[in-house]
Amino acid sequence: MNRSDYLALAAGGLRMPLGAHLVLHEESDPEAVILDGQRLGMVVARTARRYRTPLAIPLMDLTVERNVVLELLGVPPAERATFHLTHWPGDDCLEQAASLEWQQLGPRLQASCEAVRYIARQTDLVPIGMVIGPLSLTVRLLADPISAMFTCGRGKRADENPQVALLEKTLELATRVVLASVTQQITAGAEAMFVCEPAAGTAYISPRQLAAGADLLERLVLAPQRRIRALLDEARCELIFHCCAELTAQFLQAFVGLHPTVLSLGSSRKLWEDAALVPEDVVLYGNLPTRLFYSDEACPLEAVIEQTRRLIRQMRAVGHPFILGSECDVLSVPGAHDTICRKVDAFMTATVE
Amino acid sequence: MSILDQIAQAVLEGDEQTAPRLVQQALDENLPASQVLQDGLLKGMNEVGRRFREGEYFIPEVLVAAEAMKAGAAVLKPHLVRAGVRPEWTAVIGTVQGDLHDIGKNLVATMLEGAGFEVLDLGVDVPPEKFVAACRQRPVHVVGLSALLTTTMPMMETTIAHLKQSLDHPPPVIVGGAPVSQAFADKIGAAGYGPDAATGAEVAKRLCLAGRS
Repeated sequence: MNRSDYLALAAGGLRMPLGAHLVLHEESDPEAVILDGQRLGMVVARTARRYRTPLAIPLMDLTVERNVVLELLGVPPAERATFHLTHWPGDDCLEQAASLEWQQLGPRLQASCEAVRYIARQTDLVPIGMVIGPLSLTVRLLADPISAMFTCGRGKRADENPQVALLEKTLELATRVVLASVTQQITAGAEAMFVCEPAAGTAYISPRQLAAGADLLERLVLAPQRRIRALLDEARCELIFHCCAELTAQFLQAFVGLHPTVLSLGSSRKLWEDAALVPEDVVLYGNLPTRLFYSDEACPLEAVIEQTRRLIRQMRAVGHPFILGSECDVLSVPGAHDTICRKVDAFMTATVE
Repeated sequence: MSILDQIAQAVLEGDEQTAPRLVQQALDENLPASQVLQDGLLKGMNEVGRRFREGEYFIPEVLVAAEAMKAGAAVLKPHLVRAGVRPEWTAVIGTVQGDLHDIGKNLVATMLEGAGFEVLDLGVDVPPEKFVAACRQRPVHVVGLSALLTTTMPMMETTIAHLKQSLDHPPPVIVGGAPVSQAFADKIGAAGYGPDAATGAEVAKRLCLAGRS
């Protein structure tokens, strides 16, 4: 499936949530499922069929590649949840990351790859891989990423500032592990890659520094992303770029520079306005505020229906290719699963004149 | 520009090197430590908070300003202790059990310090028992709970219930985080809700002032 097929899906009015977490948590043993590639693949397939999409979007789990890095660094499992790099451990890990073998991927990533393989071999759905972006992985590895990035934005170089040096080395390590994950998922049959880069937003990168000329977007976001892009192009794998963070137009223009097939944005954006900055051959995806779906007070069913209708009308008015969906992975919340599912069903079926 | 204004400016610019140097200079000029704190460091942080609310500053600016303020405060601390100057209120803050996100929590902690609180930051993935233990160790005027995931939000209700069950006089609890809403805060019995870090700190201060009166 190529770009024109995604444009055709948009033109056909496709709607779909990122719903694998919801379906996963209808299993009695979700923690076992995520370690079993076949069962995980079946959950992803069931999600696609329930929500009537040909796209088998995987479960969004932004811890997968982090665990690969921590395994590489020899961090004991009991310490991984709160572990952060405070100093560079040496360049050996970079060499190892550049040549990761299957057995070094760890059970979660192996299961994710097997799930892609299941979709590719056992279904007629479009197998899609998913990775965390290099910058987002980096910020999850560092103790104080924002200060480091701000220092970087002030023009400090690695050879003159240890924070910047650690940031750049960690970003390189993260990039290599992400590339390895992408490679393995392409080998498993992925025809598109969902790249999640939530750190590429104003919480981490200051728009003030960007306005003053800091090249943070290029150095920290685009350069690593272009390496992923090159790998995808070589494999004729489509790029679905996802960033649900708070953004400014400058961030959006940077993402557009990657020329993704699909650009998935969070609920803070007005997609009908953003469409003016996005080429007509890039499908916009999103961006209903699904993180509020758990609460009928904060987000009544009627509001979901109204927002759905308004978004579809506004996107029709601007005429930009668009797939209606969720701002991010729709999480199953204990005690609110049915409430959330009802609202997802509502946006899937809301009629629009 | 007076030395106090220079201190405020150093905080505003997130200058972690200059802020403590200027604080020391102010002390060397025999300015009272409390004045250096209020009219220098906290004045700078208050302006940071205003700019953040107005959309001129973003999270990175606030966090580096906080680092500058803390660096200056570290120089001041022994002088404040000698002068018997203490923060009027103590806040305990943490990200609830099961959640490892900390940016929002760190931001609120910063704004609380800027509002004159002493902040005990329990970190992330904090079980309810740990909040209770912190409240037993010393007088706590407000507890702040953070959660970034809808899947961990239920722990806010559990934590609030645990505080109420375990303490004779549980402090008011404010909650915040991307998926949290006023409606959710009301539902789980929180005393306040902060849609953003600056508002969260203001709500905390209002609760403490209301408690005092």
